[in-house]
Amino acid sequence: MNGTPLIRLANVSKVYHLESGDFTALDHISLDISEGEFVALMGPSGSGKSTMMNQLGILDVPTTGKISIAGKNIASMTNLERTHMRRDVIGYVFQKFYLIPLLSAYENVEYPLILKYKKRDTSGRAAAVLKSVGFDEAMSAHRPNQLSGGQQQRVAIARALVNDPKILLCDEPTGNLDRKTGFQIMDILVGLHKEGKTVILVTHDPKIAEYAHRTIQLEDGRVVES
Amino acid sequence: MRDIFFDLSIRSVRLNFLRSLLASIGIVIGVVAISSMGMLGTNMQLMVKDQLTTGINTIAITPDVVRAEPGASVSTNTGITDIQLRDIRDAAGVNEVIPIDRTNTQFSIGSNDGRGSIYGLDPADIKNIMNVTEGSTIRGESDAIVGATIANRFNLLIGTRIKIGEPNISMTRPVVRVVGILPAAGLSSSNGINSDNAIIVSDTWYTNQYGGGNVYDQVNVNLKDVSTLSAVEDAIDKKVNRNKEVVRISDSSSRITSVSSTLSSLTTFILAIGSISLLVAATSIFNVMMMSVSERVQEIGILLSIGTEKGEIRRMFLYEAFILGIIGAIIGGIMSIIIGYSVVSAMIGNTAYFFLPESIVYIPAGMIVGMIVCIISGLYPAWKASNMDPIDALRSE
Repeated sequence: MNGTPLIRLANVSKVYHLESGDFTALDHISLDISEGEFVALMGPSGSGKSTMMNQLGILDVPTTGKISIAGKNIASMTNLERTHMRRDVIGYVFQKFYLIPLLSAYENVEYPLILKYKKRDTSGRAAAVLKSVGFDEAMSAHRPNQLSGGQQQRVAIARALVNDPKILLCDEPTGNLDRKTGFQIMDILVGLHKEGKTVILVTHDPKIAEYAHRTIQLEDGRVVES
Repeated sequence: MRDIFFDLSIRSVRLNFLRSLLASIGIVIGVVAISSMGMLGTNMQLMVKDQLTTGINTIAITPDVVRAEPGASVSTNTGITDIQLRDIRDAAGVNEVIPIDRTNTQFSIGSNDGRGSIYGLDPADIKNIMNVTEGSTIRGESDAIVGATIANRFNLLIGTRIKIGEPNISMTRPVVRVVGILPAAGLSSSNGINSDNAIIVSDTWYTNQYGGGNVYDQVNVNLKDVSTLSAVEDAIDKKVNRNKEVVRISDSSSRITSVSSTLSSLTTFILAIGSISLLVAATSIFNVMMMSVSERVQEIGILLSIGTEKGEIRRMFLYEAFILGIIGAIIGGIMSIIIGYSVVSAMIGNTAYFFLPESIVYIPAGMIVGMIVCIISGLYPAWKASNMDPIDALRSE
């Protein structure tokens, strides 16, 4: 790591220009997240959690300030470079799973590999990752709408993992699951953290946030507790 | 290896099967319209050209100046003289040279009066160039062959007698006897003899009646080989029009060119009408593609956020347009053969030219145009999809 954190936000602001005036979603945030951390991002709705996730997920760029992820300045990258960063460095787990409806469970996991290597997976990696998150192999030909929420989230985690990203961004990963399934999913994330992944978790459930080793509290676009 | 984006497109088409099929039907109609219209026009062109070229091997030489003699009731052609005829024969070489006398006159059959052309030809030439289908060729001096139009109008039979000239109380008019009837020539009578409305008599009979034994109204040169046309024309021109333009040399190739160009602009015109249906098809493909994009906004958001390149998203939607196009083009191609054939046989009544390359080429051409139109219609939707903001796209429901 040579001292440089995996993620560094320096004085980051995000301002949305609306008809009703400017809205500051993130207000001069400076923050470091080191490799191997398990961070929970908390805060009431409207506090800037989603905006923060979009910044960390390289889906957006800050209005002012500087974000570097894995040593690269996001703002100075081209669109294509950012796309490749999303593909290779970050794994996304969403509240609503966001699987590709036209692809089977297996193909959803295989998809990022195809994006990266421009060919179908013959190494068996997709199947292995799917198995590692406890997904029943017999269901791998099923389309997402034929799977339960817990199964869909396992597929989504497998998809996030398949390109071996450094960072796992989880946006309310248990939000659409029952309590028991939610804890199963959290156990998977804990296991992944133990394997060395940097896990960033957005939640407003304190019980879920307890899994993390560090909690960042956001309010009105500012960090109030870190 | 199958491209996953192609798979995604196929699945999307399959998922919205009815909608995709309806959009493809637009392309089917467009392809059928273009192909059958094109084939219709081409078949018409080929047929007319074929009919015209039956007379293309004839060069017609006519006197350049027509002079009306003062005081004379009828204008007289200066005519082609014997000397000029000899020059023509020299220049024409191996080709057949046929001097023709011609005038317009009134005639009577029984109590019916008519008007038409009288041609005087050497009976030997008549035998060579006239294809008498009913009766025989001219043998005796007052024998005549008549064209199809005259024969039909006056119900002429072999043996009917025709009085030639204006009715005149003080004189008995000369009479010819019909020995042969010519088939309808129509457009193909391009050899300078409009035989449909003609009475053809021997040159001897003609000069006895009208004089001008060594002057001719027209000289035809029948070519043995059509490709020598301009060479022979040049030779005649050099020889006869030595000092000044005394004869006019013409052939039907210019007429064929002008008829063909008229027909080809007609073909272009009906093709343009056919293209309108492709325009409609393009709109429906565009519409379906836009629907596909707006229905899959969230999916596009997912694809973009997990690292799909813009180009890959574009490719996915262009594949979809391509699939719609190829379905439409294949069905359209098959239907074009059936519908095109029916249209051609119904409207032209002759399908002999249908499978010629010039005609059948409209089927692949129509298919290709249909597919191109499809892909062009998919360009904007694909571009729109690939340029979405992943955050906005993900958020949409």
